Amino acid sequence: MDLQAYIQSGVVESYVLGLAEDQEVVEIEQLIVQYPVIQLAIDEFAIALEKEAFENSLTPPGFIKQKLMAELAFSYKNNDKANPLMIAYNSQNENTTGQYQGKSSTYWKILAAASVILFFVSAAANFYLYNKYNTTNNKYTALLNERNLLQASNQVIQAKVNNYQLATAMMANPAIVTVQMTDPSLKENNMTTVFWDKSNKKVYLLTNKLPLPGPNKQYQLWALVNNVPVNAGLLDPTCTSLCKMKNVDDAQAFAITLENKGGSETPNLGQLFVLGKI
Amino acid sequence: MLLLKQRDQDAFGYLYDNYSSTLYSIILNIVPDRDLANDVLQDVFVKIWKQIESYDNTRGRLFTWMLNISRNASIDAVRSKGYQKSQQNRELTENMYHAGGSTELNTDQIGLRKIVNKLKEEHKVLIVLSYFEGYTQDEISKTLNIPLGTVKTRMRNALIQLRQIIK
Repeated sequence: MDLQAYIQSGVVESYVLGLAEDQEVVEIEQLIVQYPVIQLAIDEFAIALEKEAFENSLTPPGFIKQKLMAELAFSYKNNDKANPLMIAYNSQNENTTGQYQGKSSTYWKILAAASVILFFVSAAANFYLYNKYNTTNNKYTALLNERNLLQASNQVIQAKVNNYQLATAMMANPAIVTVQMTDPSLKENNMTTVFWDKSNKKVYLLTNKLPLPGPNKQYQLWALVNNVPVNAGLLDPTCTSLCKMKNVDDAQAFAITLENKGGSETPNLGQLFVLGKI
Repeated sequence: MLLLKQRDQDAFGYLYDNYSSTLYSIILNIVPDRDLANDVLQDVFVKIWKQIESYDNTRGRLFTWMLNISRNASIDAVRSKGYQKSQQNRELTENMYHAGGSTELNTDQIGLRKIVNKLKEEHKVLIVLSYFEGYTQDEISKTLNIPLGTVKTRMRNALIQLRQIIK
């Protein structure tokens, strides 16, 4: 094969310029492997073409590079690793300032991205903690209410226990006279009990059974001293257990009548509910 | 080269700074409309960026590879429907051959047009139609009403002339 004739035939140029037809391309690429001189001819023309093209060039507008770099910025991110090659390249190159600018702007982008992520994480944490705070606060209020209820019921129970203790103590006290009071007509099984401490004259009344007084009515206790009724106090309608009455110095019997609200000077004997002799 | 294949940002900027002017001139040789040429240049560098991994430096020079990408992208752009429509208003004459087309931009003094203009007219027509407008030899034969064999012979001669000019 006459290599020189082949090289001079224009096929090298058409191959470099991309004008060769498929069949010619296959042919020349096979021949390149066999004859390095063809590769040399190709390189020679390509270099000459390149030189020529460089000499008659026109600078494109600057904004194209900016647009291009912005468009490719996404792909850089994944590949922007500082590797040793990169550093070597930078130190060899004169344009290092410009290049480091590119780098630092990437760092700023990463920093900005990191701070945005941090902000969202912090917002989420705040939201979570605020919810938790609300829940806890609600639970605390509920507990506080429950505690108040328990305390109230505890006070009620304590008062009851105190009364029972007092009643028990009085029943056990030999100085105390217990007077069972019943309906003198024996029709109703109304019953009250008076505990009279002769040592200090104090009188307590326990209502075992009495009908509810009507409106504007109130029960009144009387001490019968030598058959004369002496006011021993009004029965407090709110008192449910052992009620403290007036002190009584002397008595042979106790009686309860229903009087107008506020009590009377003398008992309304027509409304005598219970009577008990000592 | 290794940095380019690793898609290094700085290396790519360096590549752009070195080759954009030359490739831009080639694009303008084919795409006389400046706005479109700007778009094509950007498109070409995106292609280079994406395809750099497939470039094999044992099979040709980097510039030759980029030149071919630029040429193909430019011819595609000119042949696109949108561009053809916009040109219909401008050129009522046959739009295939505007080698002397200094009407739009004086691009025949830049890039490779400057060399091609030094060719004899019969050679110039062939290079312009094939290289700058992307017609196959078969299409040129039909368009110019010249036998295919003659087109092939003249084309080879044109290329030989071209080499002698740039050497």
